[in-house]
Amino acid sequence: MVAGIHSAERVKRLVGFRLFWATMWARAYPRIVGAMRERSWMFFETLLPLLGVTSYVFVYRAIGAPEEYIGFVVVGGAMTAFWLNVLWSMGSQFYWDKDMGNLELYVLCPGPMMAILLGMAVGGLVFAGVRAATILLVTTLLFRVNYQVANLPLLGGVFFATMAALYGMGMLFASVFLASGREAWHISNLLQEPIYLASGFYFPVKALGFWIATFASIIPLTLGLDAMRQLLFTADPTLGFLSVPLETAILIGLSALFIPLAYVALSKLEEIGRREGRLIERRR
Amino acid sequence: MNTSYAIQTNNLGRIYKLRGPRHKNDPREIVALEGVYLEIERGELFGLLGPNGAGKTTLIKILCTLLLPTSGSALVDGLDIVKEAREIRQSISMVSGGETSGYGLLTVEENLWMFARFYGLDNQTARQRIGEMLEVVGLTDRMRTKISDLSTGLRQKMNFVRGFVSDPNVVFLDEPTLGLDVGAAREVRGFIRQWMAEHPDRTILLTTHYMAEADELCDRLAIIDRGRLLALDTPARLKRRLQREAIFHLKVGPLGPRPSKEAMIENVPGVRQVTIGEQNGHTELSLILEGEDALPGVLAHLTGRGSHLIALEKREPTLEDVFVDLVGRRLDVDTSQRSGEDEI
Amino acid sequence: MLRRNILDISSVRRSNALRSFLVAAWLGWQIESNWTDPLLFAIYSIARPLASVAILVVMYSVITNGALQEPIFAYIYLGNALYILVGQVITGVSWAVIDDREHYRTLRHLFTTPMDHYWYLMGRGVAKLIIGTISVLITIIFGLIAFRLPIQWAPINWPLFISSTVLGIVSLAALGIILGGLTLMMARHFWAIGEAVAGALYLCTGAIFPLDTLPAWVRPLGFAFPVTYWLELARRGLLGPEAPRFPTLAAFSDINLLSILAMLTAILIIGSVFFYQWAVHRAKEKGLIDMETAY
Repeated sequence: MVAGIHSAERVKRLVGFRLFWATMWARAYPRIVGAMRERSWMFFETLLPLLGVTSYVFVYRAIGAPEEYIGFVVVGGAMTAFWLNVLWSMGSQFYWDKDMGNLELYVLCPGPMMAILLGMAVGGLVFAGVRAATILLVTTLLFRVNYQVANLPLLGGVFFATMAALYGMGMLFASVFLASGREAWHISNLLQEPIYLASGFYFPVKALGFWIATFASIIPLTLGLDAMRQLLFTADPTLGFLSVPLETAILIGLSALFIPLAYVALSKLEEIGRREGRLIERRR
Repeated sequence: MNTSYAIQTNNLGRIYKLRGPRHKNDPREIVALEGVYLEIERGELFGLLGPNGAGKTTLIKILCTLLLPTSGSALVDGLDIVKEAREIRQSISMVSGGETSGYGLLTVEENLWMFARFYGLDNQTARQRIGEMLEVVGLTDRMRTKISDLSTGLRQKMNFVRGFVSDPNVVFLDEPTLGLDVGAAREVRGFIRQWMAEHPDRTILLTTHYMAEADELCDRLAIIDRGRLLALDTPARLKRRLQREAIFHLKVGPLGPRPSKEAMIENVPGVRQVTIGEQNGHTELSLILEGEDALPGVLAHLTGRGSHLIALEKREPTLEDVFVDLVGRRLDVDTSQRSGEDEI
Repeated sequence: MLRRNILDISSVRRSNALRSFLVAAWLGWQIESNWTDPLLFAIYSIARPLASVAILVVMYSVITNGALQEPIFAYIYLGNALYILVGQVITGVSWAVIDDREHYRTLRHLFTTPMDHYWYLMGRGVAKLIIGTISVLITIIFGLIAFRLPIQWAPINWPLFISSTVLGIVSLAALGIILGGLTLMMARHFWAIGEAVAGALYLCTGAIFPLDTLPAWVRPLGFAFPVTYWLELARRGLLGPEAPRFPTLAAFSDINLLSILAMLTAILIIGSVFFYQWAVHRAKEKGLIDMETAY
């Protein structure tokens, strides 16, 4: 080996928000770079989900549904990309990271876990964004979906409020993996179709009845989808569950709930993980 | 507790509860650590020597704040491992042997940059330190290689850089040369010595089951087995404990039928400890005798069992002998073999 | 002597294939049944398929005001229920490659054994097949109770149903092998290749809507997949004369459809053997057998 490092001075470190920001982008980096280096995902993340969503369009066509229902499927199908990103690219990723030995290094470093989770989410948005945009654009063109955008800024606001609440919830899920093993992976698996059903991904959630729709509203996509549909398809205003302003307010409230809850859960579950040795186990 | 130590433990213990379906006679918990008292000075390279399953990794994980103790307490860099875990993480790092951390699609430089950023290094500092440290470990030419394309030895060198790039006060090295070939292991040990020489205020806690490594590197070391510390001192003083004893290594022909318990080698007068192994059709015995005059008795016993002497060597005590003296078996012997040894 | 040697070699090969299949089936079951909470497993096996079919039931009810007695409802419901096997079998087979390569890291070791890896993958799909079958049964029983599906015990054409289902499952396994071969050559981020392909097949195999609904230029795609014929035959077998015959396949008799299904299945099996051999060769050439790609 050659001459060593001479470091009479201690290395200066970022703290506070700057550390948070650095950690977030450092964790997003492998996702973003990985997406560019291994490009086969583009086919599978775009074409195949597109075909799946198209199936639901044809179900509505087969049973003679009004055209705005095609639009519902299109918007709902696009939003599945974000739900799957939350389920699999945040929570489930911790499971794989634990397996590889990365999780304990994440816990060990001073960079906040929330930043690591947010980095995973940001990196995963590359995939989710491409998937959602592809589904939206292609099916809109293919099926000639007609949008009547009532209020574009409000639509944007609803979307961002939905994303903030959704990813806050995702961080909460991810904290579960700190203290869990493979059962958490199965819980993620379990939360696909039931959430598509309860949140009205492919039909107006109002059809499930008031109480089911109310309970389902804890999932940010329920109200997010409903509000976006009301703003995009104004032909039949009775299909909405609650008014758009109310739904937006609830979404903001959910973000304000989930994000601090995720912080508390992360700390608590990290402690449980440390106590029971789950951070370092390799249960398969 | 005294915060001037780099690491201090006070009656530290850890019990694991075993989960999942078990037979009614299977134990429901494992005592991984029990009653561990340690005081490691700043600037020390401290070794923890013990066989697999002794509790070395458990101790390191507790001190690294990845695991909570079930009893006792500990301070790392003057901070409590339970209450001040986040603060401790600012000044420590850990490198394990056989690590597979990182992401295969990223290059060496990218992986290291990612972890450096987790530790709060700004871009410029991170890249500079990574470049310098890769040169030290001889990985500069592999900087842009994806880590999935690295061999085990090169990957471990990269892991080392990861552990040191953040300029920690205390470094935990858990079996750092595990799985490395002789050359790579030598380079890693050289790196450790060099780093300690250049950073006299830093501390390293190193776990290993390689005697020679512990002997070569450590200022002081503790011998641990089955969760308990059995001895703690400098390597030289530990070996001096056996100076009065005579240590022999014998190679003999195959031994005859199993004797009665009373007629076993351990019961020959003057025999303190014996470990026995079979190798290529002959038997090898490592003996710690109270004195040289016990040797004829041993030879007579072996002759009585139909064996013959092939080679005999008197040795200076090694750390392995110290371990055998304390524990009654060799470091590399699986406990499942122990009953077989008892019967010879 | 030569004839005896050839017979010996082929019998060794057969026993190796069988042994590989059986060991893999056992292993697959050990992995799938390794749940720490059986209750969660039960919920999982029931909730997911029922939620999947409930989406369609709600979609249908919203538009038709709950006209569950219409033939198209039984068509949609049964198609969706049977389709559970598609995802499970394809996934069970193809996922084993990722599981072994990146999770358990045993793939490299498996490839150094004399085991027949083609049959090993087939065997790994057995556990998912069993789980999928349970889910299908639960879904159909739920449909009978909750929605009064028009399935009567007496008119069920068991030979037709069983023969078409066996062929359908074999074709799915072959497709899973092809996807497994593809997976050998790709990074792990594409962990859901089985489910993704199953989702795509949902569109053009008449699973949840008649092929007539598709644009004319897409319909021929449905004819290329064995799943299309299996689903049609299975519905006819279960529903008997009540089975709705939509124009696309109405002109085909049961025997016609069964023959086409058998032929396509055979083609798929042969294709899967050659493709998988090529994929393994390619993966070995590129050093991908022990690739780790998680990010």
